Amino acid sequence: MSASTPKTLPTSGPKSILDICHPLSAEESVRTPSPDVGNTTGSIGEKDLSLPNGTPVDTSSPASSSSLLNRLQLDDDLDGETRDLFVTVDDPKKHVSTMETYITYRVSTKTTRVEFDLPEYSFRRRYQDFDWLRIKLEETQPTHLIPPLPEKFVMKGVVDRFSEEFVEVRRKALDKFLKRVADHPVLSFNEHFNVFLSAKDLNAYKKQGLALLTKMGESVKYVTGGYKLRGRPLEFAAMGDYLDVFTQKLGTIDRIAQRIIKEQTEYLVELREYGPVYSSWAGFESSLQEPLEGVSGCVANCAGALEELTEDMNDDFLPVLKEYVLYIESMKTVLKKRDQVQAEYEGKLEAVAFRKEERTATPTDVEKCQDRAECFNADLKADWDRWQNNKRQDFRQLLTGTADKNIQYYEKCLAAWESIIPLLQDRQENTKTETS
Amino acid sequence: MMADTGSEEVAVIGNTDLTPGEIENNMKNTMGEKGTVLFRKMEINVAEAEKRTVKNAVNMQETYTVYLIETRPADAAAEGTNPAPDSLWRRYSEFEILRNFLLVTYPHLVVPPLPEKRAEFVWHKLSADNMDPDFVERRRVGLENFLLRVSSHPILSTDNVFFTFLTEENGWKEMVFETGFQAKADSRLKALNATFRVKNPDKRFAEMKHYSDELQSVISQLLRVRARVADRLYGVYKVHGNYGRVFSEWSAIEKEMGDGLQSAGHHMDAYAASVDDILEEEEHYADQLKEYLFYTEALRAVCRKHELMQFELEMAAQDLSTKKQQQEELATGTVRTFSLKGMTSKLFGQETPEQREAKMKALEGQIQEDEESLKDKNTECDEFVRGAWLDIERFKDQKNHDLKEALISYAIMQISMCKKGIQVWTNAKECFNKM
Repeated sequence: MSASTPKTLPTSGPKSILDICHPLSAEESVRTPSPDVGNTTGSIGEKDLSLPNGTPVDTSSPASSSSLLNRLQLDDDLDGETRDLFVTVDDPKKHVSTMETYITYRVSTKTTRVEFDLPEYSFRRRYQDFDWLRIKLEETQPTHLIPPLPEKFVMKGVVDRFSEEFVEVRRKALDKFLKRVADHPVLSFNEHFNVFLSAKDLNAYKKQGLALLTKMGESVKYVTGGYKLRGRPLEFAAMGDYLDVFTQKLGTIDRIAQRIIKEQTEYLVELREYGPVYSSWAGFESSLQEPLEGVSGCVANCAGALEELTEDMNDDFLPVLKEYVLYIESMKTVLKKRDQVQAEYEGKLEAVAFRKEERTATPTDVEKCQDRAECFNADLKADWDRWQNNKRQDFRQLLTGTADKNIQYYEKCLAAWESIIPLLQDRQENTKTETS
Repeated sequence: MMADTGSEEVAVIGNTDLTPGEIENNMKNTMGEKGTVLFRKMEINVAEAEKRTVKNAVNMQETYTVYLIETRPADAAAEGTNPAPDSLWRRYSEFEILRNFLLVTYPHLVVPPLPEKRAEFVWHKLSADNMDPDFVERRRVGLENFLLRVSSHPILSTDNVFFTFLTEENGWKEMVFETGFQAKADSRLKALNATFRVKNPDKRFAEMKHYSDELQSVISQLLRVRARVADRLYGVYKVHGNYGRVFSEWSAIEKEMGDGLQSAGHHMDAYAASVDDILEEEEHYADQLKEYLFYTEALRAVCRKHELMQFELEMAAQDLSTKKQQQEELATGTVRTFSLKGMTSKLFGQETPEQREAKMKALEGQIQEDEESLKDKNTECDEFVRGAWLDIERFKDQKNHDLKEALISYAIMQISMCKKGIQVWTNAKECFNKM
């Protein structure tokens, strides 16, 4: 970590989230704070959210407030518990120091859990911190599916890392990441996660070196490879197959979406040339001036609406696809690990049965392996179900959101064209009396 | 008043507004045994198109398209009876001959244009092939429109050659060529392309010519860009069709999400397919614009013809004044204008009084002739201007009306496209919601 960071990190501590002013003083560029994600601040405070059970939440608004509410509902159904941990990532800010320029995000927490000393926290974190957290989670909870982070590396010069668009897309992804962890019945109790949310000085904690690994983490860490897997249980094989096909389909969808964006962009270029021709015609066609200008204006409006639609596709649609591709990659890794654990168990079991090896596995050794394998399978299975559910919701929301944006685009165009019909038709009566 | 595909327009051809001068003019210009032909009302229809293959003059196979022209007295429909229409077949080249005849015969009128000879301003999917059925169909509509335009023109509709074109399949060609218009057509073309400068150009006509140039330029540009827009729109819609397939494949590995995905995919297919109809409709709009693009040529031709007349008038007037000046010089004996004769007579001796007398008489005769001719030319020019300007005003009104209609129908097309889009995506959204 750069030396400059700790000095400027906020020490907002136990203040209410709403009272927190932007703590970082060394800012060169002050951004307009991005809106709190879906006004969750308000709804987080009250614990009983008046959601009728079972009634699907309107997913037409793209804000993740509805996604949050959806999640809440789902979790209520799955776990039968009320939520007691809420996290938000918002308010990106740029920091310029002599060494580097980077963005921090405000991470706000509200909780009633006893594992936390205070009910509320708010600290600024940068991508590095999220990355560190994720690595820690993978290390310490290897039997669980860890949600993905947005991509770490961005080609400088190709993408502007500090553009509002890029930062907003990243912020949304980071917010989603934390929320997924917070929702997870096991991951949310992870020590590192706790520290991430509640430590004033995260860097100091990081420097402490490896903190406590969980029991599973400890045991899985030292699983030896080199054992061949005999047979994969059907359900895990099915998971692997599903992920393979799903990745493929996601790839195809991503390509299609990118192609659509490309075609729309080219269409936009032509539209921007098309409209003005009507205007120049209006310039010398005095008797048709208003109608021609009207058409020109309409085309311009439609072009504007198209531009918005394309931007939205870029900002909201593509990143989610990418995120799931990353998710699947890490899931496949976990599946492989599971295979290894199972293989080791089976190998050692066999060794004991046939007294093959010298420095053999003792029966207790084998028992440990079996334990490990069974725990892994159970964790994974639970996570898989949860993942499937979340995936379903995410894609439902993504696709309905896309449909919505397209509907809005056409509605804008429709309004524009409908508005000039009276303009075009009114003058019809005047034509006969006019001398052009 | 554009022709609609398949609908029959009742074209009121009856002409009650001709002045005696104009009627006389017509009689002079329209030859043929039928004499003055004023038909009242006739329904005209270009009903069909057919391919014909014949062996031509050099014994080679030639394929061309013929169009069926149906005519029927308009009041038949009113009376309720539905007699079979008279009909004959014409090919495009015959339409061209007719139009050239009209151009030559009525140079002061804005003669309606024919649909384009070759497909231009096409976007990629539209065929540029003359034999393509879609092109032939659009041409059929365009030819019908041409006939309706001519038959609703107060002057052109009375033309006998036009009438015969509609009613007599055989012998029409020979009849037209007998009028000798072909020679006039050639000289007309030459004259239109010649460069000359008018000393006192008529402001109105100069403005009109300028306007027609501007209009031609802007409509060309519009058609070009519109074709590119159509291309791009096609691309956007068609790519969405790919969603159909991938959603279907994806739904195969899903349990609860499967149905929603699958049916949404079908809507994406429908969306992609819808663009074909949308763009086909838009071609009508493009055709309406094209008609006026070609009209600008006719407009320009009238202005040029006037320019030519003006030029000839100026030349004639100048010639006359030169001769008058010569007359004066001969009378007074002073030589102000240079002439070869003058120089030679200076070099080789003066002429005798008798020679001078003869010269003056000859000159006087010429001057009188020229003055008569100039008077006639002036009258002709005035009549031209009067007639032309009347027709230009008529044309302006028609143009304003038609273009406004075209814009309205374009807006309506766009509205329809938007509504379809909303429908499809709403359907897709419902499916997504069920995922």
